[in-house]
Amino acid sequence: MTRPPNALPLARLLIRGLIVLNALYACAIGVLLVATLIYPKLLFDALVGLDGADAWQVRAALRAVVIVGIAGAYVVYRVLRELLAIVDTVRDGDPFVAGNARRLQAIAWWVLAGEGLRLLVGAIVLGASRFVPAIDNIDVGFSFAPWLAVLLLFVLARVFDEGTRMRADLEGTV
Amino acid sequence: MAIVVRLDEKLHERRMTLTELSERVDITVANLSILKTGKAKAIRFSTLEAICAVLDCQPGDLLAFDPTQPPQEE
Repeated sequence: MTRPPNALPLARLLIRGLIVLNALYACAIGVLLVATLIYPKLLFDALVGLDGADAWQVRAALRAVVIVGIAGAYVVYRVLRELLAIVDTVRDGDPFVAGNARRLQAIAWWVLAGEGLRLLVGAIVLGASRFVPAIDNIDVGFSFAPWLAVLLLFVLARVFDEGTRMRADLEGTV
Repeated sequence: MAIVVRLDEKLHERRMTLTELSERVDITVANLSILKTGKAKAIRFSTLEAICAVLDCQPGDLLAFDPTQPPQEE
């Protein structure tokens, strides 16, 4: 039986690339936040033409969305770091370690936190839409798939934990 | 560990080397060495059966409990 091509180096490269892109994204929205604080006109100009867009609540809401976005970037960073650590254990030849079960569980919690942030953005946008009816149909990207992924990750983490224990039991068996 | 493996004594009685036993029970010398030196954490029944068959002995001839020994570390 032939082994499938080793995708490990590609995965590491991809994860590292995503970490850099995510950092750039965080920097960009951080700059945007600072810019809207220093030059509030920027934000106002972006919303010009929409009824009620000049309400301070709307501007505060949009700044809150940007802050949640930065928090989201941190969540993505933590997920990618944990994933990279898992990939590194595969490269080192021993992925069935207790640390990876813990990492999978951490990823599950971070993805859950990310989905919590998404709901928060949805709530903020919903609140802002009371002042600007034109934004009441903004899609915040709610989907059941990430929630299913969270469940799957928790189950996988448990399976990994049990598997690691079982292997530890077998170690030293003759 | 309080479980003492007496494989060495049995091999000596039977005038058999570890390598010879390894070939006859189809278990690597490395694994038998782990067993002989008391470093094994567990032994399969199939391994015990194979060794007992070759050395013509009982499991009790190979294993003993010595309460004066310190317990196994986790």
